[in-house]
Amino acid sequence: MIDPFQTLGVEARFDLDPDELARRHRDLSRALHPDRYAGAPAAERRLSLSRAIEVNDAFRVLKDPIRRAEALLRRAGVPVGETAEPKPSPDLLMEMMERREELGDARRRKDLVAVRALTEAIRVREREVLASMGRQFAVSDPDSTKLAVVLPELGELRYLRRFLDEASAIEEELTT
Amino acid sequence: MAYSEKVIEHYENPRNVGTLDKNDEHVGTGLVGAPACGDVMRLQIKVSDAGVIEDAKFKTFGCGSAIASSSLATEWLKGKTIDEAEQIKNSMIAEELHLPPVKIHCSVLAEDAIKSAIADFRSKQAAKKALAGQ
Repeated sequence: MIDPFQTLGVEARFDLDPDELARRHRDLSRALHPDRYAGAPAAERRLSLSRAIEVNDAFRVLKDPIRRAEALLRRAGVPVGETAEPKPSPDLLMEMMERREELGDARRRKDLVAVRALTEAIRVREREVLASMGRQFAVSDPDSTKLAVVLPELGELRYLRRFLDEASAIEEELTT
Repeated sequence: MAYSEKVIEHYENPRNVGTLDKNDEHVGTGLVGAPACGDVMRLQIKVSDAGVIEDAKFKTFGCGSAIASSSLATEWLKGKTIDEAEQIKNSMIAEELHLPPVKIHCSVLAEDAIKSAIADFRSKQAAKKALAGQ
């Protein structure tokens, strides 16, 4: 797997400046634009095109905090994904089960106010988890398997994301 | 990714969705999750005094394969003894539902949920015995 930080030429860190990231992506995309290679030999055109695709893929990974965290962990040699990560805590599972059931109840009642209140509470949590992960990534050696300490919060972040995806689908359903 | 017909069938008509009273001494509750996909699965069994599973319920927030795996598990659990239920393996669920390799972890989750529900039931029974023996 290609290192997305290297592809975009940005520092491998969790707290990336979104503006700088977008700027790097724009500059590289411009430099690799097919128009610039219109008169170039076929091999060069192909190469620039595949580089442009890599740049777009890397940008998508780094924009998403979950995938960015996964990329940082992989670089440091920490396995991520199914079976590699610690089991979620019972408290988190209980809480997510309850919140998802409340969301389902709100949907059945067509209670948009409740859906939005639940969403806002989870958004607050998401910001807290992101901030805490940023601190953990900042104090850990970026190339050490000790980075595995962030895995429980990464798991939590995925649960929160699942909730928010579901909530936004319900909100759309109730407002249209 | 294409789901098998059996997965779709369970997904569209899930069996035994619901809740049992988790404070009932005859009820064992298993709550498990897969952090890599944000899935959460609750599986509950109600066991008679003779040790037979009279009822089983589940609630799963996750992908179609996770829902189908837990739905199938509750179907299989009903009427089994606790000891028989312990013999249910994820590979049996995966085979029945024709799960592709990337979805095997959903059947693992269902097996975990069964084991965890049984463990919860047993710890309740042990606590009851300890109390009675005092």
